[in-house]
Amino acid sequence: MPTPDARRSDRRRGCALAAAVAQASWAIGVVALLGATTVAGRAAAPASVPAISATDAAFFDTRIRPVLSDQCFKCHSHSADRIKGGLMLDSQAGLLQGGNSGPALVAGKPDESLLIQAIRYTDEELRMPPASHGGKLTDAQIADFEEWVKRGAPDPRVPASASGGAQYAGVGKKHWSFQPLKKPALPKVESNLWIQSPVDAFVYARLDAAGLRPSPLADKRTLIRRATFDLIGLPPTEAEIQAFLADTSPDAFAKVVDRLLASPHYGERWARYWMDVARYSDTKGDPPRRDDPRFPYAWTYRDYLISSFNADKPYAQFVTEQLAADILLKNAGAQTKAKKQPPPQDQTTLAALGFLRLGNQHDGRRNDIIDDRIDVTSKAFLGLTVSCARCHDHKFDPIPTADYYSLYGVFANTQEPAGVFREPTLQLMMQRTPDLVDYLAKSQALQKQAGELQAKFLEMRRNRERDPQKRRELVRSEGVLQRDIANLEITHPGAPARAHVVIDVPKPKDYPILNRGEAQNTGAMVPRRFLEILSPNPKKREVWRTGSGRLELAAAITDPKNPITARVLVNRIWQQHFGTGLIATPDDLGNMGGLPTHPELLDWLAASFNESGGSIKQLHRTMLLSSTYQQQSLANEAGMAADPDNHLLWRANLRRLDFEQVYDSLLSIAGTLDPTLGGKPVTPSSAGFGHRRAVYFYIDRRNPPELLTQFDFPNPDTPSGTRYHTTVPQQALFLMNSPLVIETARKLTHQPSFSDLSSDQSRVRSLYLTIFQRAPTDAEVALGLAYVRANPTGLDLDVPQTPGMKAALNKRRNQRQAMAAAAGMRGMDQRPIGANVENGGPMDAWTKLAHALFQTNEAMYVN
Amino acid sequence: MLDPLGMSAAVPDAATAGGPLLPKAPHFPGKAKAVIHIFAQGAPSHVDTWDPKATLNKHDGKSIGIEGGVAMGSPFAFQRYGKSGTEVSELFAKTAQHADDLAVVRSMYTDIPAHDVATVFMNTGSLRITRPSLGSWTVYGLGTENQNLPGFISLRGNRIPVGGATTYGSAFLPGVYQGSSVNTSAQTVQQMIQNIRNAYVSKTEQRRQLDFVHQLNQLHSKTLASEAALESRLESYEIAFRMQTEATDVFDINKEPADVRAAYGNTQQGKQLLIARRLVERGVRFVQVWHDGWDHHQDLADRITQKAGEIDQPLAALIADLKLRGMLDSTLVIWGGEFGRKPTRDRNGGDNPGRDHNAKAFSIVMAGGGVKGGIVHGTTDEFGNAAVHDKVHVHDLHATVLHCLGFDHTRLTYRYNGRDFRLTDVSGNVVKGILA
Repeated sequence: MPTPDARRSDRRRGCALAAAVAQASWAIGVVALLGATTVAGRAAAPASVPAISATDAAFFDTRIRPVLSDQCFKCHSHSADRIKGGLMLDSQAGLLQGGNSGPALVAGKPDESLLIQAIRYTDEELRMPPASHGGKLTDAQIADFEEWVKRGAPDPRVPASASGGAQYAGVGKKHWSFQPLKKPALPKVESNLWIQSPVDAFVYARLDAAGLRPSPLADKRTLIRRATFDLIGLPPTEAEIQAFLADTSPDAFAKVVDRLLASPHYGERWARYWMDVARYSDTKGDPPRRDDPRFPYAWTYRDYLISSFNADKPYAQFVTEQLAADILLKNAGAQTKAKKQPPPQDQTTLAALGFLRLGNQHDGRRNDIIDDRIDVTSKAFLGLTVSCARCHDHKFDPIPTADYYSLYGVFANTQEPAGVFREPTLQLMMQRTPDLVDYLAKSQALQKQAGELQAKFLEMRRNRERDPQKRRELVRSEGVLQRDIANLEITHPGAPARAHVVIDVPKPKDYPILNRGEAQNTGAMVPRRFLEILSPNPKKREVWRTGSGRLELAAAITDPKNPITARVLVNRIWQQHFGTGLIATPDDLGNMGGLPTHPELLDWLAASFNESGGSIKQLHRTMLLSSTYQQQSLANEAGMAADPDNHLLWRANLRRLDFEQVYDSLLSIAGTLDPTLGGKPVTPSSAGFGHRRAVYFYIDRRNPPELLTQFDFPNPDTPSGTRYHTTVPQQALFLMNSPLVIETARKLTHQPSFSDLSSDQSRVRSLYLTIFQRAPTDAEVALGLAYVRANPTGLDLDVPQTPGMKAALNKRRNQRQAMAAAAGMRGMDQRPIGANVENGGPMDAWTKLAHALFQTNEAMYVN
Repeated sequence: MLDPLGMSAAVPDAATAGGPLLPKAPHFPGKAKAVIHIFAQGAPSHVDTWDPKATLNKHDGKSIGIEGGVAMGSPFAFQRYGKSGTEVSELFAKTAQHADDLAVVRSMYTDIPAHDVATVFMNTGSLRITRPSLGSWTVYGLGTENQNLPGFISLRGNRIPVGGATTYGSAFLPGVYQGSSVNTSAQTVQQMIQNIRNAYVSKTEQRRQLDFVHQLNQLHSKTLASEAALESRLESYEIAFRMQTEATDVFDINKEPADVRAAYGNTQQGKQLLIARRLVERGVRFVQVWHDGWDHHQDLADRITQKAGEIDQPLAALIADLKLRGMLDSTLVIWGGEFGRKPTRDRNGGDNPGRDHNAKAFSIVMAGGGVKGGIVHGTTDEFGNAAVHDKVHVHDLHATVLHCLGFDHTRLTYRYNGRDFRLTDVSGNVVKGILA
């Protein structure tokens, strides 16, 4: 029974929802709220459909629509196999027109509405939904419907087309991100010194309208630190800072930005963001039975990303290679062949296909692997959750199940080479080194074994042998063989680098819809083609018949007429520079995603990006060379009062360093960073961080390094465009106690450039310059000196060790060596990263000071 | 400053109460003081565990008109347990020994049968937008009894849980309320809570250093004005400092007598639940326990036997142990996943069938902390395809958990961006039928 309380809360629902909606869209006014506010009567719709209120639209979308689609559409919609009683509930017209028993509802009068009578179950003849289809609705749901009819049954759905038929009416088509991308004119703002770029004009106009002022520009040290962390993921060196301070030319900062964009470290930083989106991992998660759990060559995809970002590869090419590098290469080969030239020797771009390959392997379940590819493709490039439409039409976006299966057809016609030996090498021709010769011999031996094993399996099958013992043995030897093969590929110095690729099946074909996502519950055949909502001509969508359709899919994604691709990319880049995207949900620009805070700015950036030929580096310049980016992060009262979350960008956001930045800067500050680019992954170990940047870590999706996890490393099973920002005690424990951090502090204070400094003041100063990239204030010098001078063992850099300490250190060292040896034998190291870094003994006063600085907010944040 | 609690004044403002984690009084006295939520991720089959369906078994192998599928009877035997006579599958025979302490909700349903979305939904009440988790709301409302440990701890295996930190994050609530994730499959406490020990300096020296760090932070924040994130960070350092003494102890199950460890079983899940009990015993408010691997599209008979086998004994031991210690009445234990499974064969399964996803029906089991024992709430249809009577939505479950803790879920709110937010959004009805 609905209690009076429940009813009251029902009414409150409306208010709270309105508030929620107002909150979501407050910054821009109501923009096409859930595609609902601008519905106009059309075709079969009643003569006049008044635009309905946001509250009513939200009420319908959250309380009524889900029940209709879940409980009623099976028999009462265009998608029903057989429409029961002639009643269709998937449009307002259908409801008003009713079925064989007459109109389903009388607006404003629940007691006179057949629909309400039916769901109340009071009439024995008319009980809906019937027991066979879910049974009576809950009291709360019934109360919702009553309330809705009482309000006049406001229905925000876009009227179904007059032709009716099996066409999916779609939801949320009016959503902003599906509308054509046009380059907006710059807003008219009073010219002032703050406005340096078009970006600023858009931001200033919004601030001005809200009665706010932007913040002044940050000082040069703050600025170069911010830009350096942003673009290459490392702190600036003192020499770089000095050069910038000394450069008084008006384009001094532009020069810094150009220098950073030209640095090879830029690619390492930005590849990592894309690896989050591409759910990168070096392992398969749930490999099929008998398979080895590792991807031996995942790293070639990572290196492809690094070099693509460094080369500022045009975005369309970047997208296309990740979906169809094999086809591009084949086409290039056909061209050279026609010209009677040798085929391209360099096949490195094939590694781009790691984008499709490197997902969880779902125990080899084909449909789940295809789903993963649809998911990563649609989220990464289109900011849409197409995989929601696997079992039913998307509940919030105009993505029918048929569209899902159009893409399904693309990836169902795509296959992988059988076994790692069939994966192509990055270079077609290789020098015959002794290592290579040795590798070839070993790999041939393994291939022979594989062939023999295969023959035995076949023989068993041919003879219909059912000896479980024999079968188990064969399965076991195949497991061992797979492991040996992976070991050879991963460890042999002569093993040529390969790409994990996909290729088209020999005879591509269309696939049917799988009803409710069930493998053998097949529905209508659907052609391979692009999503209707993003097609330039939805009525006449191109059908892809040659090959799998991946190349055509890439072309559709990168078509400048596609309204969403550039918006998604521009938002991803913005987010990394400003802390939050112009849309807060970078992987979902659909109806359930956030609304843009600055829609015109977003469109201007997206259109400019397209005009630039998809140059990401140019996009960085556009963003960084704005006053908006260069503002200081200091809060002020007016801003905090009007816009505490800084949606309007009245200041720069304070941003916590992510794990990679923390880790890389420790190496960089200690002077032990290995600048080598690319190569096989490194396993972070208890013996220390090694010297490679974090982007080179070996990532096992079943067991990512704990330290990364504590610093919000995303789950590598699904695309992640944003990292969650936690502040948990384990992060503090790492900085407080990890030998790695403490020994880094010791390295700093025990190098001659520090220990040779004669005055205590200059030592404090030196640590500030190295760790914070700025000089200390007088107060900070005084505080630092007071801290070191109060040290119980004095100010000496060498702290005398008592025999007890020595014994303890020796004991630890021995333990460490024993554990490292044991771990080496098992081929794994489960100890915390850096836990076994050589302990250099007691900490002196200066090491304690450096260590303290590492623990401060300033070291961990970019301001 | 805005009242962060909107219309509810019952929960004191953190800033005025001396510390955001200090214990606070709820709206009314709640029976539960702590929650252990064992999350069976992957969507366990209800018709093989807690929801017997004789009719389904009778139709095994036949078409039953449900979405064109072929019925798959449960390969598992059910029997009645305890005075209450609750029917439970042999898969949970040990937990069923406590049938008279269990409230089995057989009429759960949720919105979307996709693992990631539904997992986040079960833990945060939100389908898409990032919202605070159930545990974060709990600690926000009640604070915690032990200031030397985080108020909300999430125990997991090697993998990052589906949904990641979203499932134990605090979203817009202050960071101090988020869950701390601990990998309990690590061998030693030092691996579970990495860097818990400092091998270099004394506690006194560390305290002196930490005070110095705070001084530097204060100087620094003067140039930045107040930042909520920075304040949370300060709190996290203080908890970290205090944890060093307490955490090594609480996560070390070797401190338990051998018979207790044996009762929980020498397994990953036994270890997890024993740690959960130790945490709650020491005043941790909310413990989330991840037990994944329940997605059985094929080989259901074997695989669910394995999964249930992993948790049955530890769960039974947990309930017995809490009862023995007089803690069951004040500890709400919840076992369940993100949705249920179809009564029909998943067509991918071939000879070793499994079941496909089903958002329309699943079962949740609760014990202690304010729920009635020995009852079954709600029913599904004769095949177990959909909940039909006394249906309980995820929001209703959340409302009920908060009720057990002493909160009116409509009044436990947090003001953010000019609006009062709550765990149950605009929905949720307390399931009165299961309250003690």
